[in-house]
Amino acid sequence: MKRSLQVVTVTVAAVSSFGFSIGGSSAASVAVAADPSAKVEYTGTLSVLTKFGLQQLSPYFVNVAQQYEKLHPGVKVELIQESDDSVKGKTKTLVASNSLPDVYFSWTGSWGGNFVRGNRAVDLSAVIGPDTEWGKTLSPAAVKAFQYNGKFYGIPLYQDAKFVGYNKQIFGKLGLKAPASFEELLTSCDAIRKSGATPISFGNKEAWPAIHFAGQLLAYNVPQATLERDFDPTTAEYTDPGYVAALKQFSQLVERCTDGAGVNGTSYASALQAFTNGQSAMYYQEIIEFDQAATSDSALKPADFGFFRLPVPAGAKGDLKSIEGAPEGYMISAASKNIPLAIDFMKFVTSKENAQILSAPPYGQPSATIGGASEKNMSAAVVDGLKDINAASYLMPWLDTANPPRVAAVWLSSLQALAGGSMTPEQVMGEVRKAASAAR
Amino acid sequence: MARTSDTIESGAVVHGAARSQRPRSLRVRFGNLLSFRWAAAALILIGWFVYYPIVDNFIVSTTDQDIYTGEVTNVGLANYDRLLHDPVVLLALWNNCLYAIISVVFQVFGAFLLAAIIEDLRSERWRRLWRAVYFVPSAISITVTGLLFYFIYQPQIGLLDAVLSRAGLSQFVMPWLGNEHTAIYAIIAMSQWQGFGYSTLLFAIAIQKIPRDLYDAATIDGAGPLRRLWSITFPLTREMTGLMIIVTITGAFQVFNEVMVMTAGGPNNSSQVLGTWLYQKAFIEDNFGYGAAIAAVIFVLTMLTGAAQLWYTKRRRVQL
Repeated sequence: MKRSLQVVTVTVAAVSSFGFSIGGSSAASVAVAADPSAKVEYTGTLSVLTKFGLQQLSPYFVNVAQQYEKLHPGVKVELIQESDDSVKGKTKTLVASNSLPDVYFSWTGSWGGNFVRGNRAVDLSAVIGPDTEWGKTLSPAAVKAFQYNGKFYGIPLYQDAKFVGYNKQIFGKLGLKAPASFEELLTSCDAIRKSGATPISFGNKEAWPAIHFAGQLLAYNVPQATLERDFDPTTAEYTDPGYVAALKQFSQLVERCTDGAGVNGTSYASALQAFTNGQSAMYYQEIIEFDQAATSDSALKPADFGFFRLPVPAGAKGDLKSIEGAPEGYMISAASKNIPLAIDFMKFVTSKENAQILSAPPYGQPSATIGGASEKNMSAAVVDGLKDINAASYLMPWLDTANPPRVAAVWLSSLQALAGGSMTPEQVMGEVRKAASAAR
Repeated sequence: MARTSDTIESGAVVHGAARSQRPRSLRVRFGNLLSFRWAAAALILIGWFVYYPIVDNFIVSTTDQDIYTGEVTNVGLANYDRLLHDPVVLLALWNNCLYAIISVVFQVFGAFLLAAIIEDLRSERWRRLWRAVYFVPSAISITVTGLLFYFIYQPQIGLLDAVLSRAGLSQFVMPWLGNEHTAIYAIIAMSQWQGFGYSTLLFAIAIQKIPRDLYDAATIDGAGPLRRLWSITFPLTREMTGLMIIVTITGAFQVFNEVMVMTAGGPNNSSQVLGTWLYQKAFIEDNFGYGAAIAAVIFVLTMLTGAAQLWYTKRRRVQL
C-alpha cells in the first residue's frame, strides 16, 4: 500500500510538471468570404482580442464597446485586452485550441499571412475592398497592407512607424541639430555623452527593440526586392552584403549612443521613462508612443519633443526614403458564428468619430480612417510624423512579423547577442541563414 | 484439541472452508466493485485531465503540426533526435540543474539550519517574529517579485549596482539581467529569496514535532547544540528533508514564471530553462511537436528524480 502510495506521489509530482502539456489542433475550416448583403443580427456575444492592454490605451476599446452595447442592447462585447508582448502568445494559444475570438488583432506581413493560409480569417474583399463603401473611408495603403493573394483580410485601425524622438532642450544646450546622416548621429551621441546625459535610451530586455533599429538599417542597406525575397521562406537567402553592413552600423550605434552591453538588462518601458524624465536625449520610438513620451505632466514637455527618421548611413544601397513601420489592425475569425455583427462592430470602431478619439491624446494612435487623423485632434508631432509616413517610398515591415516565426526567433536572440557584444554581425547573419534554410 | 482434529482432517476442512468462503469472496469482490463505482467519477476526472494529456503529449511529440492549417505530419522520433542536437536544450537543462543544485543548498539545507536556529530560540515571541519575517517574501506574487528584482538589478538605477559602487566594488557593477553570464544566477538568487522562508516554515513545523525530552536528555548527557542538531534534529526531520528535496528539485525543473518575468530566456537564450524553451518553441515559433518533446523530457526527469528521492528517503527513514 505504502509502495503504491509512493508511486502515486511520484507520478503526481511529475504529472504536475505537465502543466506544460500541449494539446493538438484539428484542421482549419474552409475559406470564408464576407457577404455584404448579410443581415446583421444584433444579438449575442462578440469576443474581441485587442492589443490595447496597456493602462493608457485600454479605455479606448472599453468605451467603444460600451457605446456599441448602448446602441444595440442585445449585444454583449467581451474584450480580451493584451499588451504588445502578451498578444503574441495569447493569439497562438487561441489558434492552437481553435478558440480564436470573433475579432482579433493582427500585424501585417507573415503574421497576418498565417491566418489567411490557415483559413482562419474572413475574406473581407466584398466589404472593405477599395471600391466598397467602407473601404473608401479607410486609407487605401493601409487596407492594401492586409492584402494577401489579391484579397483583403484586415481592417486597419492605425498607422505605425518608427522615429527617433529627441529632447530639443538637450540638443539646444549642446548646439546640436537633428542629424542629417547616420555618421552625424554618432558624432552627436559623443557630444551628448560628454555632457553627462545618455544619448539614446535603449531598453532591449524584450529583444524586439533591437529588431526595430536593425530593421530600419536593413531597409537602408538592402534593396527592397532582396528584402522581400528573403522574407519569403521559399526564396530566402540572406546573402546580400547590406545585411552585415547594417548590423555593423547597429553595433556602432549601440556602442556610441547607448549604454552598450547594459541595454539587454533594461526594459523598453524603462528606456521610455528615462527619455520622458529628461535623462536621455533620444529614444527610438513608434509614432503611437509620441503622446506617451511627452506630456504636460512629464519632465519632457510636448513643446520640447522633436523627432526625425533614423538618419541614412553613407554609402547605403537600399531604399533611402523607406521607413520602418506598418499599419496594425484586426481580422475576423472564419469560425465566428456572427460574422455580419463582427463586421458591423468594426465599422463602428473605425467610424470617423471613434477614429478621431483614437488619434487624439491620450491615445495618439494615428487612425487609418480618412479624416480620423487630422491636425485638429492630434498633437503636432503625430501630425508631422504621419505626413512623413505618407511620404515614405517603402514601409519596411517589422522584422519579427515579416519573417517566419523560426527565423524571427533567431533574429531576436542574435541581435540581443550582437548588442551584448557576444556575437559579430557575420555570426548573426550565419545564424539567420541557418534558420532560414531550416524553415524552408 | 479441536484444532488437532481439524488438522487431521485437513483435506476435508480446507475443502469445506473453501466451499464456504467462495460466496463470501464473491460478495467481497462485488462490494469492491461497488466501492469502485464511488471512486469512478474521481478516476475519470483524473484520467481525463491528468493522464490523458500525458499520453496525448507523447503523441503530439511525434508529430509536426501547423497550428494555422491544422495539418499534422507524423515524424516519429525526429523531434527527440532534434532535441539531442539542440544546443539551447542542453543549456536549458544545465540551467535547470543549476537551479536545482542552488535551490537544494539554500532552500533545503539552508532553510533547515535557519529553522533549527529559530526553533532553538527561547522566546516564543522571537520565534514567531522570525518565522514571519522569513515567510513574507513567499506571500508576494512572482510577477511583483520579478518587477522588484528587475529594479534591483537595473544597470542605471538599480539598487545592487549602486550599493556595489558605493562600497568600492565598481568592478562588479554590471547589467545583471542583461549579461549572458550572470542572467541565470540573478534569477536563481531572486528565487532563493522568495522560496527560502516557505521552506524554513515547513522545517520549523517538522522540528516542533520532535519531543523536547530527546533534547533535554541529550543536554543532560552533555550534547552541545551542534551535536543535538546532527544527532536529533537532522535524523528526525529526514522525511521532511526528503520531501523538500523532491519538491525543490521538481520545482527547479518546472521553473517558468521567474524566468519569463525577468528575462524571457534572454539575453541570447542564456537564461533559458526547459519550461521557457518549450514555450518559445511551441508558442512563439509555432513548433508544437518539438515543444511537446521538451515537455516529455521534463516529465521523465521529474518522475525519475521523485522516484529516486523517495527510494532513498524510505531507506533512511527514522521513526520514533
